[in-house]
Amino acid sequence: MNGSSERSLPYLFLGPALLVMLLVVVYPFGYNIWISLTNMNLYHLRDPTFLGFEHYRNILGEPELVAVFIKTVLWTVVNIFFHVTIGTALALLLNQEIRGRSVFRALLILPWAMPQYITALTWRGMFNFEYGQVNLILTEWFGFEAIPWFGSETWAFTAAILTNIWLGFPFMMIVALGGLQSIPEEMYEAARIDGAGRWQRMREITLPLLRPVMVPAILLGTIWTFNNLNVIWLVTNGGEPADKSHILVSQVYKAAFTYYRYGYAAAFSMVIFLILLVLVIVYMRQTRATERVY
Amino acid sequence: MQNRYFRGFLSGLIVVVGCMGAVLQAGCAGEKAADAGPIEIVLWEMMDPQERELLLQNITAFEAEHPDVKITAAHFGVEDVRNQFLTAALGGGGPDIIYGPSDQVGPLSAAGTLRPVEELFGAAFFERFHELTRIELNGHLWSVPEQFGNHLVLVYNRALINTPPADTDEMIRMAKASMVDADGDGKIDRYGLVFESKEPFWLAPWIGAFGGWVMNDENEPTLDTPAMASALEFCRELKATHGVIPQDCDYELADTLFREGRAAMIVNGPWSWKGYRDAGIEIGISSIPRMTSTNAWPTPMVSYRGYSISASCDDDKLEVVRAVVEFLTGADVQRQYAEKIGALPSLLELQGSDLIARDPVLAGSMEQVLRGQRMPIVPEMRAVWDAMRPALQNVMNGESAPAAAAKEMQKMATKKIAEMRS
Repeated sequence: MNGSSERSLPYLFLGPALLVMLLVVVYPFGYNIWISLTNMNLYHLRDPTFLGFEHYRNILGEPELVAVFIKTVLWTVVNIFFHVTIGTALALLLNQEIRGRSVFRALLILPWAMPQYITALTWRGMFNFEYGQVNLILTEWFGFEAIPWFGSETWAFTAAILTNIWLGFPFMMIVALGGLQSIPEEMYEAARIDGAGRWQRMREITLPLLRPVMVPAILLGTIWTFNNLNVIWLVTNGGEPADKSHILVSQVYKAAFTYYRYGYAAAFSMVIFLILLVLVIVYMRQTRATERVY
Repeated sequence: MQNRYFRGFLSGLIVVVGCMGAVLQAGCAGEKAADAGPIEIVLWEMMDPQERELLLQNITAFEAEHPDVKITAAHFGVEDVRNQFLTAALGGGGPDIIYGPSDQVGPLSAAGTLRPVEELFGAAFFERFHELTRIELNGHLWSVPEQFGNHLVLVYNRALINTPPADTDEMIRMAKASMVDADGDGKIDRYGLVFESKEPFWLAPWIGAFGGWVMNDENEPTLDTPAMASALEFCRELKATHGVIPQDCDYELADTLFREGRAAMIVNGPWSWKGYRDAGIEIGISSIPRMTSTNAWPTPMVSYRGYSISASCDDDKLEVVRAVVEFLTGADVQRQYAEKIGALPSLLELQGSDLIARDPVLAGSMEQVLRGQRMPIVPEMRAVWDAMRPALQNVMNGESAPAAAAKEMQKMATKKIAEMRS
């Protein structure tokens, strides 16, 4: 085998994957950028004209953008916080030798295994003011006032967050459980011999060794949650009450599929992409996610 | 050694590329073979399960009569069929025929993805259909109506209501009388009246009862009117003052309560009736009662469902497509839909027949249709719905006064329409 063949071999191996990436990622991404610079909409679907950065200027100049952005960040942070804490706590429990562990594990994965659509609509029904199970439990078991879940912005947003927490913790639980099971038992044994207590073992062994699996999982979770249209759209029935429970991605969905403002929606999606890009870069630098641990 | 691996890899790659070539060639050969085989027609629809079952039976019947035609029907959700069709048609693909509600043709024709149907069928063909189903947009007809209505009526449970109310005052009285708190826990176990109170489609009949409407003849929004404010006030009072509808009444709740016999009356459309019958409810259908204060009939939105033809349908398929649509909108098929699922026929010859007169449900439905108003089919109607929805919800939640909400509706509709066009 001569030198040039040897050099070209990796490219040959990469070729098919690169071709697929080019077709399903690079081309649509480039096309999206192009659309975002045009007036493509229902009336100019076949003959869009170049507008430059007009959509971007309009989006950044919209008075409600900051409020929706803050709401999206809140939505993401609250969800991820509970996904990680509940998921990790359950993983720690399931990592113990307990009776019926596989049954508990299967039950706890169920929310993740069920179609989001079904789950979201079921939760919506459970939040009904008069007949929903949530209010029935609150009023009949705990004696609280019934909550008008879809009558106020705050409660509607809370309902969507509760649903998404329920849907999202199993993913973090599975990831954390995988991480826990890969920690060698000898390390705990050595720590025990050295006199380390339960909390010390957790702080010095478990948490640092969970980090390499949790950091990318949190990154993925953040991107998914930031862009999670299904749950908020279905639980709040497209923005109840009075279009007040939107996050950035549901605004994009509405622009594209209610009003057919493809150029505007493409520009909005680019803005979201840039926000996430900055978030990811900052997160990776802060967490040193790409560094080796062992 | 490395050389051998490299040669092995190259041989593998050649095999893979060769296989792909063979597959592509087979595809092309398939296309060539298809030229000589049956003419393939693709139809996309958004029908309910019962309708779809009938459609598939009718397609089989058509294919039996025309062995040279093969029809493939694909099912989508209401919004999906529209969005998927737009995307596919833009790329020159998608189905030959698309079935859907009349307001679907607004965006699809504006995007240039449909063929005007009068060019294929001839203007005379459409004289057979009821005038409310012959809606022109930009000087053309865009679909052939298969059923008529899609309108709201008052559905009542015959086990609880003997005679439907004559006016809204009586409706409220009857609703109150039908409310039951069986276990005395202060919670209503059976309501008198339920309807989707958050969607503006259910507000439309009341707007008409006060003499207003959502758009004028120039397709401009007409939402900031005293009629709109009165309609909003009326709906708010049903909940807040009279307490005859549930606090948080969306479609699913209203439908479930009526289906379970826990509501005496519901305002709903033809798509729901079979489900109620299947649930064992003996239903009666009547017009939404006359508004007592104005003595005018509420005017639900009247539309139709029909078949449109894609702009990307090949010219050489058009004759077959015409035959398929003619068959699927013909008298035999419409009669079947009327008898089996209670859909009103769009053909005048059936409307005048005893098909409707002998069936009290169809007769009640027809009576309501004739009191309704045509639903605008322009794409801008989406902006109007979207402007009405939050304001309606604000009124129902007690966060806006009706007059202020009507003003806000108009402002938002105007803004959204301008954005759609920009």
